[in-house]
Amino acid sequence: MRRLTTLGLSGYLAAVYAFIYLPVIVLVLFSFQSGRFPIPPLNGPSLRWYEAVLSDSRLTDALLNSLLVASISSAVACLLGFIAAYALARYKLPGTGFQRALITAPLTVSYLIIGLGLLITFNMAGVSRSLLTVGVGHVVINTPLCFAILYSLMGDHQINIERAARDLGANDLEVMAYVTAPMLMPGIIAAFFLSVTFSWDEFIIAFLLSRFDNTLPVEIWSLLRSGLNPKTNAVGSLVFLVSIVMVLFMEIIVFRKVIRR
Amino acid sequence: MMDAARRETVKGWSFIAPTLLWTVAFFVVPFAIMAVMSLWKRIGGKIVQTWSLDNYVAFFGKSHLLKAMLNSLEVTVLVTLISILLAYPLAWIIAERVPQRWQRLALILAILPFWTSYVVRSYAWLLVLARNGVINQALLGIGIIDEPLELASTRTATVIGFVHFFVMLLTLTIYANLVQLGPNYRRAAADLGANGLQVFWYVLLPLTLPGIMVGAFLTFVLCIGDYITPQILGGNNELLLPQVIMLQIGRRADLPTAAALSILLMAVVTLAYVLCARWLRLERA
Amino acid sequence: MKDRKPNNIVKRGLRASALALLAGGLMSTMASAADELNALVWCDHTDPGLIKPFEDKHGVKINLKDYEGTGTALSLIEQSQPGDWDVFVVDGIDVPRVVDAGILAPLPADKLPTGDLFPELVMAENHTRDGKVYAISEKFGYNTISYNKEKVDPADMNDMSVIWSDKYKGRIAVYDYYLPVMGMVQMGLGKKTAGLNAGDLGAIKDKLFKMKSVSKLVGDVVASQTAIATGEVDILVGGGEWVTAALTEENPALDWTIPEQGGVRWSQSIGVFADSKKKDLALKFVQYILSPEGQARLATSSCYWAMPANSKAGSHLTDKQKAALRWSEQKAYLARAQLYPAPSTELDAKMQDVWTEFLQQ
Repeated sequence: MRRLTTLGLSGYLAAVYAFIYLPVIVLVLFSFQSGRFPIPPLNGPSLRWYEAVLSDSRLTDALLNSLLVASISSAVACLLGFIAAYALARYKLPGTGFQRALITAPLTVSYLIIGLGLLITFNMAGVSRSLLTVGVGHVVINTPLCFAILYSLMGDHQINIERAARDLGANDLEVMAYVTAPMLMPGIIAAFFLSVTFSWDEFIIAFLLSRFDNTLPVEIWSLLRSGLNPKTNAVGSLVFLVSIVMVLFMEIIVFRKVIRR
Repeated sequence: MMDAARRETVKGWSFIAPTLLWTVAFFVVPFAIMAVMSLWKRIGGKIVQTWSLDNYVAFFGKSHLLKAMLNSLEVTVLVTLISILLAYPLAWIIAERVPQRWQRLALILAILPFWTSYVVRSYAWLLVLARNGVINQALLGIGIIDEPLELASTRTATVIGFVHFFVMLLTLTIYANLVQLGPNYRRAAADLGANGLQVFWYVLLPLTLPGIMVGAFLTFVLCIGDYITPQILGGNNELLLPQVIMLQIGRRADLPTAAALSILLMAVVTLAYVLCARWLRLERA
Repeated sequence: MKDRKPNNIVKRGLRASALALLAGGLMSTMASAADELNALVWCDHTDPGLIKPFEDKHGVKINLKDYEGTGTALSLIEQSQPGDWDVFVVDGIDVPRVVDAGILAPLPADKLPTGDLFPELVMAENHTRDGKVYAISEKFGYNTISYNKEKVDPADMNDMSVIWSDKYKGRIAVYDYYLPVMGMVQMGLGKKTAGLNAGDLGAIKDKLFKMKSVSKLVGDVVASQTAIATGEVDILVGGGEWVTAALTEENPALDWTIPEQGGVRWSQSIGVFADSKKKDLALKFVQYILSPEGQARLATSSCYWAMPANSKAGSHLTDKQKAALRWSEQKAYLARAQLYPAPSTELDAKMQDVWTEFLQQ
C-alpha cells in the first residue's frame, strides 16, 4: 500500500514536471532547427539562429536596455522600499495603517492599468516616452514589493543595536545607513533580485511607455509580430540560460548566506 | 524648541516622505487622471471633455465589450482553480515527501521555467499545441488519436498557457506555507489517530488556507490583467478584457474608453480582494 | 532643527520629482540630437540591410518604431510630443486623412523620382493637395488569398467567396486587419471597395461572421504566417506575396493568387513630418528609400517582401527575387486590383466596431 502511494506520488511529480518543462524543451530544441519552420521533423542541429540573434543589434541593444532598466529601477525601488519600511517600523507616525496600504496598493492593480495611467499622465505632462519612463513604471510596481519584504524583516531584535549606535553618537541617517541596512543586507539583496526578475520580464508597461529604446520583452514581441522567425526560439533560449545562471548565482551566493545566518 | 516626541515624528516623516510622494505622483495621480479621462469621450478624432458616463453605458450596451469581461472572468476563475488543484499536491509532495536535502533542488526545478521570458513562453506553447506540433505528433505516433487535436488558437490554449505560469507561482507560495507550518501539527493529529486524508482535510487544509487565498488572489490579479497570453494563444477567437483595452489604445487611440474599461477591470479586482479579505477574516474568527 | 519642517521636506521632494522630470526631458532632447532621425514605419523598414547603408553614408542614426495599421500610427503620434518624429511611412490610401490632420510637410516635387514609378502608383489624387506633394509611394502588394496548393484545390481560390464557404471549414486563417479583409468581403459581394459606405456594413458583417464560423484563427502577421507555414491552416485570407514570398524557398507548396473579383492592393507611402526639425535629412532618407538600390533592399527586406514602387529597381534585383515578387505579372495584377477602402472617421469607427464584434464572435 505504502509503495503504491509512493509510486502514485512519484508519477504525479513526474507528470507535473513534464508539464512545466514541455514548452522549455520544445523552445530549446527548435532553437537548433536549421530550417525556418519550428515544427517537427527536427533538422540540424544548427547554430544559425543564435548567430542571427547575436548579430542583430536591435536585440543586443534591447538586452542591454533591459539590464539597465532592471538594475537601476530595482535599486531605486529597494531604496524607496527600505526607507519607508524603516520609517514605519521605527517611528510612531499618524495613520501608519493607511500609509502602509497606500504604499502596497500598486501590488493589487494590474500592470496594464498602471501602464495606461502613466501613459495618459506623461502625455498630459508633455513627457516623451523613453527608457526613463519605463524605469519609472517599474519602480512603481517594485517599490511595494521591496517595502513588503523589508518591512516584514524589520523585527524588534535590531532595535537594541540601533539604540547602542545612537548612544555612541550616530545620527539617524548614519544609524539607518551603517547599522540597519547592513543587518538587513541579505533581505535587501533578495528584494533587489526579485525586483530585477520582475522588471526584466515585464512587458506591458515597457510596451506602453517606450519609444525607440525597447526592453527585451518588447523587442521579442516586435520580432514575433514581424513574421515567422526562428530567432525567437534562439533568443528565448538565451534569455533562459542567462536567467538560470542568475538564479543559481543567487541560490549559491545569497541564499546560502541567509540560511547560514 | 521642539519637544523630543515631535522631533521624532518629523524625522519619521522625512524618512517616509520620498516613498509616499513617489507613490502619489506616479500611482495615485495617474489613477485619478485616468478616472477623470474615463468620463471624456473621443469624438471625430479628438478627445473631448464631455463629463458623461457614455463610455460606461457603452460597455453595458455593446455586447462584445460585456462579453470580453465575462470571458475574462471565466478564464481567470478556471485558471485559478486548476492552478491550485495542480500546485497544492506538488507543493505538498516537495515539502513532506521529498527528502530534506533534495527539497530545495526539487523546488528550484519546479519553478525554474518561471525565468524564461514570458512572451517567448506563450509562443513556445503555441509550437507545442500546434496542429503539427509536438503533442499532436506524439499522440498520432502512439496511435491514441487519428486526427490532430485542435488545441492551438482556442480558449484551452490560453488556459494552458496561464496554468503553466501560475502552477509555478502557487507551488512556491503554498510550499512556503507548508514549510512554515512544520511537521508538528501533522504529527499531533496522527498521534490522535487521524488517517492521512483526515490530517489533510481537518488540519493541513485549514491551516494553509490563508496562504492559498493569498496565492489565489495574486493569480487572479495577474491573470485577469494579462494581454500577451490570450493574444498569442487565443487566436483571436474570443477577446478578453485586456485585449479589448489594448485595441482601444493601439488601434483607435480611444484613451477615454480604454480608461473606462480599466476602471471596470480595477473594480472587479477590488471586489475579488474584498471577498478574499472578508472570507479570510471570517475564517479566522 | 529649523529646516526639518515637514513642508520643507515636501518641497524637497517636489524639487526631486521636478529634477526627475527634467532629466526625462533632457534624455528625450538628447534622443533627438542633430544626427538622429526618428521614423515611424511598417516593420519592413527595420531591416539593418536597408537602414545601415544610409546610416553609414551620412554618419547618422535612424531610430525606428514599427507599427501595424494606420490607427496604431495615429494613436502613437497623438501620444507623442511635437517634433518627436521626422519620417512617416503610411498606407497610401490614408495619406489624405494624414494630410488633413496637418501631420505631413510638403515635399519638393522636383527632388522625387515620381516619373520612374509604376503609373498606377503615382496616385496623385492621394499624394497631392493644392499643387503640393505630401508623400510618395514606395512599396505595394496585395491582400488576397494565400494557400497551400498541395492541400486545397487551386481552382477554388479563383472565387473570392471561398473565404466564407464551408468547403475548407477549420482550415482558414484570417489576417487581423479590418481594412483589407473588409475590402475583400466587399469585393466578394461584387461591389467596389472605393464605394464602401455605412449601408454596406450589414452585408459585410453577415459574411464576416460566416467567415469566422469556418475559420480557425484570426492573427497578426506572425500568427497567420506561422499558421499557414506549419500547416495549422491551408488558406490565409488577407495574405499575398508579403506572406509567402519569403517562405516559398522552404515550402514550395505555398502559393497565392488574385481571385476573379480582384484583390485589394495596398501601398505604402513615405513622407516627412510637418513639425520635424530635421526636414533636410528626412528628405535625404526619403530619396534614399526611393532610389533604385533602396527600393530593391526595401522590396526584399526581412519582415516582408513586396513590389517596389520604382520600376527602375528591377535592375538591382536578381531573377530569383523578381520571380518571387512576380515582377512580370504586375501589369495584369494591377489592372484587377482595387485599393483599400478609405473610410471617414465615423465610418472607420463603425468598421472597427464590426471588426471587434467579429473577433468576439
